[in-house]
Amino acid sequence: MTAPLLSIRDLRTWFYTEAGVARAVDGVSFDIGAGETLGLVGESGSGKSVTALSILRLIQPPGRIESGSVIEFDGRDIVTLGDDEIRDIRGNRISMIFQEPMSALNPVFTVGDQVAEVARVHASVSRREAWDRAVEMLALTGIPDAESRAKQYPHQLSGGMRQRVLIAMALMMKPALVIADEPTTALDVTIQAQILDLLVDLQKKIGTSILMITHDLGVIAETASRVIVMYAGEVVEQAEVDSLFAKPHHPYTEGLMHSMPHIGHDQERLNVIPGTVPAPTEWPSGCRFRERCPYSWDRCQTEHPPLYQIGEDHVSRCHLAIEPDRRNHPHPPVVVEAGVAAA
Amino acid sequence: MPWQTQDFAGNSAPMRLRESPLGLAVRRVLRKRSSRVAFFVLGVILLVGLLAPLIAPYDPAAQPDIVFGKSLPPSFAHPFGTDLYSRDVLSRVIYGARLSLMIGVLATIVSLTFGVAYGAVAGYAGGALDTVMMRVLDAFLSIPRLLLLIGVLVAWPDFSIGALVLFLGLTGWFGLSRIVRGQVLALKHAEFVTAAQALGASRRRILWRHLLPNLVSPIVVAATLGVAHVIVLEAGLSYIGIGVPPPLASWGNIIQEGADQVATLWWMSLFPGLFMVLTVMTLNILAEALSEAHARR
Repeated sequence: MTAPLLSIRDLRTWFYTEAGVARAVDGVSFDIGAGETLGLVGESGSGKSVTALSILRLIQPPGRIESGSVIEFDGRDIVTLGDDEIRDIRGNRISMIFQEPMSALNPVFTVGDQVAEVARVHASVSRREAWDRAVEMLALTGIPDAESRAKQYPHQLSGGMRQRVLIAMALMMKPALVIADEPTTALDVTIQAQILDLLVDLQKKIGTSILMITHDLGVIAETASRVIVMYAGEVVEQAEVDSLFAKPHHPYTEGLMHSMPHIGHDQERLNVIPGTVPAPTEWPSGCRFRERCPYSWDRCQTEHPPLYQIGEDHVSRCHLAIEPDRRNHPHPPVVVEAGVAAA
Repeated sequence: MPWQTQDFAGNSAPMRLRESPLGLAVRRVLRKRSSRVAFFVLGVILLVGLLAPLIAPYDPAAQPDIVFGKSLPPSFAHPFGTDLYSRDVLSRVIYGARLSLMIGVLATIVSLTFGVAYGAVAGYAGGALDTVMMRVLDAFLSIPRLLLLIGVLVAWPDFSIGALVLFLGLTGWFGLSRIVRGQVLALKHAEFVTAAQALGASRRRILWRHLLPNLVSPIVVAATLGVAHVIVLEAGLSYIGIGVPPPLASWGNIIQEGADQVATLWWMSLFPGLFMVLTVMTLNILAEALSEAHARR
């Protein structure tokens, strides 16, 4: 990888709730390269969305970026920027596509107005010019008859069309990085593929990097070149897509892969990872995955695993890296959900 | 249907090109017969007020024959009769409509300005500022509006109509700012607000350009009720002699002038009263239909 576009170092974003301090993101580090698509995978509650919001500093109280840095390629640290400077980055250098295309659009403005507004905020252009650029951008995202569609309100468009509008808004200023937070989760399967194709296509045209956040490994396989797997507020595995799919190392990654349905394989039922992500107010000691892990042993209880280098460009936060034999002796995990047999 | 456009998802539906949520609400309101009637009646009264100089048959202040022309019952020459000073009641009711509606609308504009600004700032700022602003509001709300107005107006001799409008407006925004604050509070964590933030919009831009346009419906409802309320309030003040000073005609003071002998000279109070009740009723019907249309969204 060449010089990174964005370097995230030891990022900690905590929420001060009544139940205690929720350490939603707890020491996350990674780089995003120019023009690449980086996948960020994990279950709900793994901290992937909070990571995304932290990059744009959109964390609302009671949450706070506790420590760490998000260094932009020109050397500025987003975490410590002033309000005006961060506003200049949002939507301009780094933008975001949200999960729910209906609720992310303002119901009382036409979609054209909303796309044009991005240009009005960041470039000193006339109303007319901003509108023209908005229509152009909407056409680029594959909206047929963009000129008249731009004059419609969000409730008059289908889900797929709305997501195209959000993409047009995010790409309006040709940002260096687009954060896509589950951009296809709310859409029909057929539309999902169209939207992913569109994103990949536009990325080539504009040359932007994408941080693709998803819980769907299929989306990763289709779009990303590198993957980061998050669990309990930490990066647990990071690798090139090919080596991750060929040889997942962390038991959590393994579990995610086994829980994907495969066409052509006879499966009585899907394998699931037993249990759920523990509460962020009380991460377990040692390895945070140990209670759901089929391989865990006493070392996992006491020793918090570091990120072990297990191959070129492949790291994993699992003690199996130093005791690989343990993989041959799986056992039922400590946490077993009622009625669900261990994998 | 001659024009059917194909939706992207494949549904075909007749489509209006620009259908704003407000336009949608208005169409929904007008679909009901009761609100169409109310709309029409209110429109006529408004028109009468606006065109008063053109349609009033007499000068509302003229006293042509104080001896033989006073207290005449309704007739062809004076459809609403004449009052104790031989003035034409119809002309006075028409000019009264002009003044009463004007006071109602202007005072409500004053209330809206204060109420929206105060509520929006409190709701959006949150925290300590919100708490302080709401306690201040509680203090204001604990003073009865009518008593406050009576106190001020009695203490201040010879106030102008402009001052009356200002007093009515300044005492009428407390409830509205509560509503606005609540709505801003509910909306400020909506995803489209975060999305606007993520695209670089400033706090001020988010509040005025993204949040407030979403509150148009509840604000319009509150304003409609507000106009009705001010009209009744002004009539009440005029009735006890501290509102609109004669010889200016407002519905309140016309009613008051005939009130002493309402049993025999009934036309003096009945007609202005009727117009006032009609206006207030239609405003309330429209406000209710509007809030219903808003709730169904």
